[in-house]
Amino acid sequence: MTTRLRLQELLGPILLVVAFSYAVGLQSAQGLLIVQSTLALFVMVLALHVFVGNSGVLSFGHGAFAMFGAFASGIVTTPSNIKEHSLQLQHLYPFLVNLNLGMYPSLVLAILAGAIVAGLSGLLLMRLNGLAAGIATFALLGVAYNIFFNNNRIGPGSQALLALPPFQFFEEPVVLTVIVMLAVYLFGISRAGRTLRATREDPLAAPALGISIMRVRWIAFTLSGAIAGLGGAMFAHVAGTVQVQDYYLPYTFMTLSMLIIGGGASLWGATVGTLLVTGIGQILLMMEQQKPILGIVVHLPNGTRAIVIALSLVVMLLWRSDGVTKGREFKLGMPKLRK
Amino acid sequence: MNRAFEAAEISKSFGALQVLDNVSITVNAGESVGLLGPNGAGKSTLINIIAGYEKQDGGLVTLDGTPLDDYAPHVRAQMGVARTFQAGRLFPQLTVAENVALGALGLGLSGKIARQRSEHVLEVLGITDLEGIPAGGLSHGSARLVGLARALAAQPKYLIMDEPAAGLNEHEVPALLSALSKVREETGCGMLLVEHNVGLVAQACSRVVVLAAGSMIFNGDPQAALNDEGVKSAYLGDAAFGSGH
Ligand SMILES: Nc1ncnc2c1ncn2[C@@H]1O[C@H](COP(=O)(O)OP(=O)(O)OP(=O)(O)O)[C@@H](O)[C@H]1O
Ligand SMILES: [Mg+2]
Repeated sequence: MTTRLRLQELLGPILLVVAFSYAVGLQSAQGLLIVQSTLALFVMVLALHVFVGNSGVLSFGHGAFAMFGAFASGIVTTPSNIKEHSLQLQHLYPFLVNLNLGMYPSLVLAILAGAIVAGLSGLLLMRLNGLAAGIATFALLGVAYNIFFNNNRIGPGSQALLALPPFQFFEEPVVLTVIVMLAVYLFGISRAGRTLRATREDPLAAPALGISIMRVRWIAFTLSGAIAGLGGAMFAHVAGTVQVQDYYLPYTFMTLSMLIIGGGASLWGATVGTLLVTGIGQILLMMEQQKPILGIVVHLPNGTRAIVIALSLVVMLLWRSDGVTKGREFKLGMPKLRK
Repeated sequence: MNRAFEAAEISKSFGALQVLDNVSITVNAGESVGLLGPNGAGKSTLINIIAGYEKQDGGLVTLDGTPLDDYAPHVRAQMGVARTFQAGRLFPQLTVAENVALGALGLGLSGKIARQRSEHVLEVLGITDLEGIPAGGLSHGSARLVGLARALAAQPKYLIMDEPAAGLNEHEVPALLSALSKVREETGCGMLLVEHNVGLVAQACSRVVVLAAGSMIFNGDPQAALNDEGVKSAYLGDAAFGSGH
């Protein structure tokens, strides 16, 4: 929600993410896993922010781009000998068996895959508005799911792709995430980002200023597809496996909740939402697993976490639909008193 | 070829209701034309047709001889036809400066030029002090001026204003008039000023077209319109006629 570079709006969220990564990630192996999967989810939330947050058009389809990114990156980084001998990969196209790329080339591939799928589908989807757009993007997710679930020439079908290489260094996903944050922020202050927000604010007035709604939405959709592709691939390398179910409904629901709870319109909102939902989710998870928190064991039934997140989403939508940050960017200093 | 903006023989019905019946209006380059008419005369509908927001049933809209029928609203704006909205339609969460800058950004101009234009236009309209306020928090009168500023930031060839003076107070109306004449001097832009108020149009425009119930009943000198029997009877009982707001 900003129009020109204000350093604190960029550095505030970045510092928070980096601080979180170091504070939690260097504690334990489990902390490291939490940080890395949170960052991978965060990149996906950033993708949603670019499109949903700036355009005001809901998308349930970004899981499709994450799927394409995850499978593209996964299939080229799984070692050839594993591809040859895995039962679930027996029907893989031969060129895919022999294709091996390093981690970073595979991430570039994931970005391209997400961008291409989003760019092509966006040519049709960006003609739609409101509810129709939401439903059509949902259909896209269904199509992608079925492509990967049923096609064992391009992947493991309903099975899992195993033995993906992990990130070597703690810093790698952190740096990737910061780069994405930078890109997202720069998009926000670009002409495309600013005119896109105008279409969100008043889709009737925007064309009178020469703005093509379809065009600016398409640009954002394609960029966010690229970022979702990367987010999906990061998630895969953190987990070490890819399975199509991992990018389907719970993933879509989780990342959209993070965005909406934090406040979709700002980078700060995406950041706060992701960390807040992760934090609360972790605490509830420990309770579900009867682990002590500050020495106290609270037992919650399984599924509490999902229910609490879902209810928080409903509460936010009812009473604070612009999220806990109200869609504002990070700003130092005391909040101004109301006049 | 005549450099002019023209809506020729425009007809439009909504269902059984004929809103415009064979209406023609021409604005020559640099000319200011008033479009008068009582409530429901079809003024806004004509603007929507000109800007591409509605499709006419018959007739043709041309810009410097080029038919605009096939062009979407955003293309018409890029070709140099700017409009304001009767309802304002500002971007409520964006600041005034950003609203106005978008008038230039929408045309593909750089952020830097957009900022310069925004600053300049706000100064011409005398509302620089509003710059940082979110447009949603503006008073009615200020919102009108910002809507006009946003259209002016595009530096259009033709500017179409839908009742820019509605809701302005007695200080704001003269400010608006002087701003319009300053813009005309600076940019030579042609103007179509839709108004209720004959007095205002008489001051701002060299020619006036009067619509009543979808038909054109007068086209000519504003002073003559004031004395025209047909115009008078169309406005009978309308308090806005001949008086200030
Ligand atoms: N989309 C629409 N569908 C049906 N009727 C419409 C529509 N738009 C306008 N009308 C009708 O067309 C007539 C002309 O409306 P229009 O808004 O063009 O008048 P106007 O001259 O701008 O009036 P005002 O001075 O009140 O703004 C009115 O009777 C209005 O109710
Ligand atoms: Mg009107």
